[in-house]
Amino acid sequence: MLDHSITELRDAIGRDLPSIASPDDLERFRITYLSRSGRIAALYDTLKSVPKEEKPRYGQLINALKQETEQRFEERKQEIESRATAARDAVDITMPGRMRDKGTRHPITRTMDEMKSIFTSMGFGIVYGPEVEDDYHNFEALNFAPHHPARDMQDTFFVKDDLVLRTHTTPVQVRVMKDRPLPLRVIMPGRVYRNEAVSARSNYFFHQVDGLYVDKHVTFADLKGTLVTFAKNFYGSSIQYRFRPSYFPFTEPSLEMDITCFLCAGKGCRICKHSGWLEVLGAGMVHPNVLRNCGHDPESVSGYAFGMGVDRISLLRYGVDDIRIFFENDIRFLNQF
Amino acid sequence: MRISFKWLQQYVELNASIEDVAATLTRLGLEVESIELQGKGLEGFRVAEVLEVKKHPNADRLKVCSVLPAAGQEPLQIVCGAPNVAAGQKVILGVAGTTVPHNQHDPEGKPFVLNNATIRGVESKGMLCSGKELGISDDGSGIMVLDPSAVPGTLLTQHLGLDDCSLEIGITPNRPDCLSHIGIARDLAAAYGVALKMPNGTLNEDATRPVTAVTSVEVLNAADCPRYTARVITNVTVKESPEWMKQALTAAGLRPINNVVDVTNYVMLEYGQPLHAFDMDRLEGKRIVVRSAAAGEVFETLDGKKHTLSGTELMICDAARAVAIGGVMGGANSEISPSTTNVLLESAYFLPTSVRKTAKRLGISTDASYRFERGIDPNMTQHASDRAAQLLAELTGGTVAAGIIDVYPSPIQPRTLTVRVNRVNAMLGTELSADVVRRLLTSIGIAIKEEATSGTFTCSIPTFRPDIEQEIDLIEEVARLHGYDNIENKSSGEVVFTAPDLREQRVTELRRWLESNGVSEIITNSLIDRNSAALFSRDLVSVRNPLSAELEVLRPSMLATMLQTVAHNFNHSAERVHLYEIGTVFAAAGGTGFQHYVPGVGERSVLGICLSGDAHSLTWHEKQRKVDIFDIKGLVTSLLTGIGLDNSNLIYYNAPSSLTEMTIGIEINGSYVGFIGRCRPDILKRYKIDQDVFYAELDMNSVISEGRNKRYREYSRFPKVVRDVAFIVNSGVSVASIEQQIRTSGAPAVTSVTLFDVFEGKSVGEGKKSIAFSLTLNATEKTLTDAEIDAVLSSVITSVTDTFGATLRSL
Ligand SMILES: [Zn+2]
Repeated sequence: MLDHSITELRDAIGRDLPSIASPDDLERFRITYLSRSGRIAALYDTLKSVPKEEKPRYGQLINALKQETEQRFEERKQEIESRATAARDAVDITMPGRMRDKGTRHPITRTMDEMKSIFTSMGFGIVYGPEVEDDYHNFEALNFAPHHPARDMQDTFFVKDDLVLRTHTTPVQVRVMKDRPLPLRVIMPGRVYRNEAVSARSNYFFHQVDGLYVDKHVTFADLKGTLVTFAKNFYGSSIQYRFRPSYFPFTEPSLEMDITCFLCAGKGCRICKHSGWLEVLGAGMVHPNVLRNCGHDPESVSGYAFGMGVDRISLLRYGVDDIRIFFENDIRFLNQF
Repeated sequence: MRISFKWLQQYVELNASIEDVAATLTRLGLEVESIELQGKGLEGFRVAEVLEVKKHPNADRLKVCSVLPAAGQEPLQIVCGAPNVAAGQKVILGVAGTTVPHNQHDPEGKPFVLNNATIRGVESKGMLCSGKELGISDDGSGIMVLDPSAVPGTLLTQHLGLDDCSLEIGITPNRPDCLSHIGIARDLAAAYGVALKMPNGTLNEDATRPVTAVTSVEVLNAADCPRYTARVITNVTVKESPEWMKQALTAAGLRPINNVVDVTNYVMLEYGQPLHAFDMDRLEGKRIVVRSAAAGEVFETLDGKKHTLSGTELMICDAARAVAIGGVMGGANSEISPSTTNVLLESAYFLPTSVRKTAKRLGISTDASYRFERGIDPNMTQHASDRAAQLLAELTGGTVAAGIIDVYPSPIQPRTLTVRVNRVNAMLGTELSADVVRRLLTSIGIAIKEEATSGTFTCSIPTFRPDIEQEIDLIEEVARLHGYDNIENKSSGEVVFTAPDLREQRVTELRRWLESNGVSEIITNSLIDRNSAALFSRDLVSVRNPLSAELEVLRPSMLATMLQTVAHNFNHSAERVHLYEIGTVFAAAGGTGFQHYVPGVGERSVLGICLSGDAHSLTWHEKQRKVDIFDIKGLVTSLLTGIGLDNSNLIYYNAPSSLTEMTIGIEINGSYVGFIGRCRPDILKRYKIDQDVFYAELDMNSVISEGRNKRYREYSRFPKVVRDVAFIVNSGVSVASIEQQIRTSGAPAVTSVTLFDVFEGKSVGEGKKSIAFSLTLNATEKTLTDAEIDAVLSSVITSVTDTFGATLRSL
């Protein structure tokens, strides 16, 4: 009698299991067979009415059926769940992600940022000054005598007789030397103007970074060391460089620094005018007249100053062949940075 | 300054290659910008002789020539099209493999390589060349016919004497002494440790005719003309200069004119002393008066231009009228002509600032004015005059009157300077000995007069070095001659601490934020035209001498130049234009935020943001749409909180501003820092932009200097409850006012209010809108009960419905 019931239940389970297709079917199956009020539990109830000596055998049979059913249910359950996951994942993951539109930083700012970060890590602070300057700060205090040919080195836009669009960032040196206590170690980035015709290689405004260090016992050797450190960090440690004596009214001795042309590796090309060298900066010891004009005694303090153009260097670094492209700001250009 | 290498070597013996000399010059601060070998590109060409010319059998315009390439060689058959070819001519021959520098038949004149060819059935084994083809003359009408003495087989470069090279040297304004061959030779002699050789010619004077008997000089303005000398050379024959003179001048970049003018130019390039030769017979009274111009005086220079003088110019005059502008240019009325027979030779020292002012005012720059304004040697005047007189006698056959008239009332003495050796080393970071310093300085002609105390030199500075004015200039000479390369590159051992620049960091933060949010940086020009500028402001700063009317006024607003970029990009089919720029704007008077570093000009650093066109690039997941006011408003308000400025306050204006409509002002801590809005259509029209442009402007100084100390605020650890409410209100009621009402009436339980739906339509009634908010409620000290939540909500609802006449809409 009980043997028959067990066999019948096993058959029913065997029929129902394969037809389970959804989580709902699973639950229905669990309630029908495996729950406390399910059919297997009911078999245990009928155990009460079998003779005592037969109880262990039937008990084992029912236990076996229960274990077997639970195991097969578990397997079926996992199968159903993994099938559901597969269905949920049936998307084309080759479709593009939800992209964000990117904004870019202008290449000139990028170059400027790199210069700033090298100099700030060398202990230089950053200061800014006005773009419209008076003759005093732009020229006179910097030892440009009135009616001196040195003024021809910088074609000037005039706002008034004694007001100009600054031709270099060097006037900021005068402002900081007058305003701030020594020692002074700063760079001065900014926009400058020259009254020159616009062409592929020159523009009427461009950007400069000036530097200044004034303290006791600052030497020309310190200047050279600083410039070499900068150049090796900015242009790469393998570059070759040279220093040439030069002339700026506000420094003495003055120098210009050239590095090997990185476009032709010094062999000579159109960009370096076949010299193999690129002029990258001008520098020198702050002229005693300038120190005096700013209220310092050249016998007790000394300093060095340097200045470099940002636009031309950006031109070379990014392989841009016409400086005007920088200020056209075409989105197809900007998106490349 | 262009230097002939051959000529240079008359004054200094150089056993070095041109490359080595060029490198040495550059190390001395005389930067060699280029080296030009004469005859470059002419290497393959030789002199040849035309033996015979026959007609071409198949072409009327062509001839078949027999050409002798060199004595003893087989003649070559060459087909030639030149009309002037004839037997017996000495010509220039190029054979197969030679590159002809200029192709006359090519529109761009590109070089080409010669081949043996068959021309209309006749073999041709080379080419006879025109001057144009070789780039040695402009004549391309026929072949170049050489001097009959030319020897076939000789290299063309050798025949033409093209064995020199020219050095282009960049001379800085402090080195007027190097605007001459002798000046450059002096530095080279010092660098190579060899002697400087001065020219040695013998000047033969006609003792029977003293110069004082034939002319006189009167200087009325000695301040501007400290020294004036005159010599007279009679019976000259004006003609072409000899080859050596023409070659020297050509190599140095000057065009030979005639023997008299060439001598003055030659001596200028030799000594650096500009000279002027007058046709003495055209000088009234045959004498010179040096005076200032009369105001309004008109003078015609020898280039045919008439100049009206202001009265400050220094004029060289004869007894009756002006004949030259001193140090600048001679007059047409007294210039040397082919018929000149007597010459008055001027050699003078004019005051540099005077020459410069005159040259600037008249807009004339000559080789003479260039040198005078930089400062020539006042004590070279007579040497140069003697040298020129000697050469004039040699080249023109003229006779030099005895003596020189030299008006030099206050001779300029060499400057005396002291240099301390320890100071040299302190400035340069070197350890040079006194002997080395002495050797270096004396090598360029500085006389060391005494050594009072050890390590201190008293130096006499030659007058050809006006740039050496103080001790530091002598220190530079030591550095330069010692060699910059021989000075250590010292890396500072000391550690310098510089506090991080907070303002700089904030700018970086702001840039990064914008870029991460899809806005690209641009850099625009800061000068615009007056009419465009007037759209933005009346308080303008303009440039007096602009490059063009397009670049006359300094931008009064960032928008003024940013719109140029927006327009450019739309003209080039851009769809999404989201840009920012940080830069300076200018105003004459200028209001709040403008800094006046100099009187009459205010400057302000601003951030401008322009959003226009598409809100985002085309995607599969979001519908395409144009940007609107909420894009820029959202960008700016989240930018401000993104960089830590969460205390901003917005002000809504009803009327359009001068730049924008729908304008929203931004305040931080009660001060105005900028605005947001849609650009006015009249402005956009001017820029030919037919799309909306949304603009925001923030004052950089305020944005980066506002403090932003972060402080912790306690947040609730109890569960939050979210409830949505919707109201129907009149369309005119602003969302901000309802939101504010909810915050006030719901405080403190309502901790956040978020607008999530706005709806207008028939279902809510004409002139009405439905506004739905999601409210978050919680308390810091406990879990809110349902009763408490209902109480708060009901007070919020009552407050909103009472204040705005709103009705609650069931959700
Ligand atoms: Zn190169």
